[in-house]
Amino acid sequence: MGTILQLLFTGLGIGAVYALVALGFVLIFRATSVVNFAQGEFSMVAAYLMVVFAVDLGWPYWLSFLLAIGGMALLGAVFNLGVYYPLRNRTFLPVIISTIGASIFLSNTVLALYGPQPQVLPGWFDTPGIQLGPVYLDSQYLLIIAVTIVLVAFQYWFFEHTLLGKKLQATSQDKEMAALLGIPVATMIMITFVYSAVLGGIAGILVAPVLFVSIQMGSTIALKAFAATIIGGFGDVAGAIVGGLALGVIETFGAAYISVPFKDAFAFLVLILFLAFRPQGLFGERVAEKA
Amino acid sequence: MDFTRRSVTTGLALGVAMPALLRHALGQSASIKIGMVLPVTGPAADSGKYALTGAKIALDRVNKAGGILSRQVELVTEDDQTTNPGAVLAFSKLAAQSDIVAFLGSIRSTQNHAMAPDILKTAKPVCFGGTDPALTKLGNPWLFRFRPNDSYSGRVIAAYGAETLGKKNWAIVHSTDAFGTGGAKALTEALGKAGAKIALDQGYPNQSQDFTPVVLAIKSSGADVIGSYFTFDNDLAIFARQLRQLGVTIPWVGSPSIIVAGAVKLAGPALYGTYGVADYAVDASPESKEFAKLYGAVSNVAPDNYSSWTYDAIGVLCAAIAKAGDTDPDKVRAAILSTEGYKGAEGEYNFDQFGDGLHGYNIVRNEKGLIVFDKHIEFTD
Repeated sequence: MGTILQLLFTGLGIGAVYALVALGFVLIFRATSVVNFAQGEFSMVAAYLMVVFAVDLGWPYWLSFLLAIGGMALLGAVFNLGVYYPLRNRTFLPVIISTIGASIFLSNTVLALYGPQPQVLPGWFDTPGIQLGPVYLDSQYLLIIAVTIVLVAFQYWFFEHTLLGKKLQATSQDKEMAALLGIPVATMIMITFVYSAVLGGIAGILVAPVLFVSIQMGSTIALKAFAATIIGGFGDVAGAIVGGLALGVIETFGAAYISVPFKDAFAFLVLILFLAFRPQGLFGERVAEKA
Repeated sequence: MDFTRRSVTTGLALGVAMPALLRHALGQSASIKIGMVLPVTGPAADSGKYALTGAKIALDRVNKAGGILSRQVELVTEDDQTTNPGAVLAFSKLAAQSDIVAFLGSIRSTQNHAMAPDILKTAKPVCFGGTDPALTKLGNPWLFRFRPNDSYSGRVIAAYGAETLGKKNWAIVHSTDAFGTGGAKALTEALGKAGAKIALDQGYPNQSQDFTPVVLAIKSSGADVIGSYFTFDNDLAIFARQLRQLGVTIPWVGSPSIIVAGAVKLAGPALYGTYGVADYAVDASPESKEFAKLYGAVSNVAPDNYSSWTYDAIGVLCAAIAKAGDTDPDKVRAAILSTEGYKGAEGEYNFDQFGDGLHGYNIVRNEKGLIVFDKHIEFTD
């Protein structure tokens, strides 16, 4: 029983990170109808910003966190203006290629500025974890799960109970209609990019003490988060959360009880099964064209 | 001036031929070029930096001493992106430059396997650091290894764990790439001969984010010692941390990746008290101490096997070219194979018929982050 609980805890912790990055995918997809392949790099950049502020400059952790998040908001805005906005009236393909280019640019810029060595970012807490009966609870994973719950609750409140959230939803559902109703669509998309960059950044900062800070950390997480997004139902917020958590748990249990070398394969096997038998994902609605 | 068809044709022909004529005329003074495939980007980019530093230190020594055959030696590098296709592409770009006389390949066995067919076609010596024993048994005469292969590391890990530490129930944890599987196979064979039992043989994919299932498998296996072959520093560090967090404290004897600077820094206290086989150890010999001194002058990171093998490879290669008196690939190959008693940072190089230069390992221990030399074990068979 202890083994199962330990695996469940670890799976949920990893899954929560996938869920946070997947949320960023979903929000941008809903607002712009394109997949942002630089979402993982947002996590990586934020983690490096934390290393600069908290480790290199020795500033307090909370201040470093706020500055890193501020930096990510700025990056989100610049990303929108430089990568998406000039191509907003083109088909989805040039925008996707543009985000892939931005992803390569970001990782190589960090590589050039900071060098290739993986870095250590201390966790938020001095205590590495607590032993609860047979289960060891890593304090960083506890924090990741808690922050995910808080962010999901915030997101629900924001989108359902604030005017700005409703404007964002209206923009994501039908941009032309939203514009006719006087909603500043370009501003809404800008806010979406900023929020997604911040979400990706939070995921990166949270996971950095566990996985270390490296150039490729973003792409590793983003690939799984992308799978989680499809499993949950592309474009569905609840789906991204459930998909991320499910993926984390499935790959952890799959590795423990079937095969460790095939750990990554389990995640993508589930993805293939969904694409084959339920392409709309867990929460997506079936879309069909009328005859 | 009149431009006749003849004068234009002559001019064009001279323009095309002039660079080649000049190259030929200046051939004796042009530098000798050595190609180097190394990771500049991707997960192993940090190790590429160390490898380049080691090679440059050796190159600097050679050039300051007047070069070889009265010519300076130059390094031409290409990024392998830490991937097999990247390594193949990088090597083919270098191989296309006909004035490159020899190459430094990868420290990763899997990439050397990927490049091997092109190396055979290029027919020029390639020095490499990958430790999969199969690499020098491929029937490819152009491959020369500058680290002890895993048949030696497996024997040393087994000997130290089973005989010195007295542990007979082993958990083997290894990457599923060519290096990891080759190493695990060699360790399993050596443990079989030592009469030890394999309680767990656990492979993992590179760039794993979580090792909880592996650690729990070790706990439930009842193993009293761990033998490991990790490819990447971050994988090893994540595993080490989770191992300690989940309360596993049994002795751990690892392949050289357990004592490289990157892993020691990332894992911190989680690696304290572990043992490693090391092709490079600072206190192993006067030559290794000298390399540490030279490396310390240009880097604030401690030298490790990523830099020591390239340092030795450039040294042996340059000595071989000087001995051959020519850059002809066949003559250089013969000169490398005839190298005996070359004292490098990693040990004494005595090349066998297969192209393996080293035949032993050091055992070191992580003493609160410091890598302390224990002993050197050399094999003659």
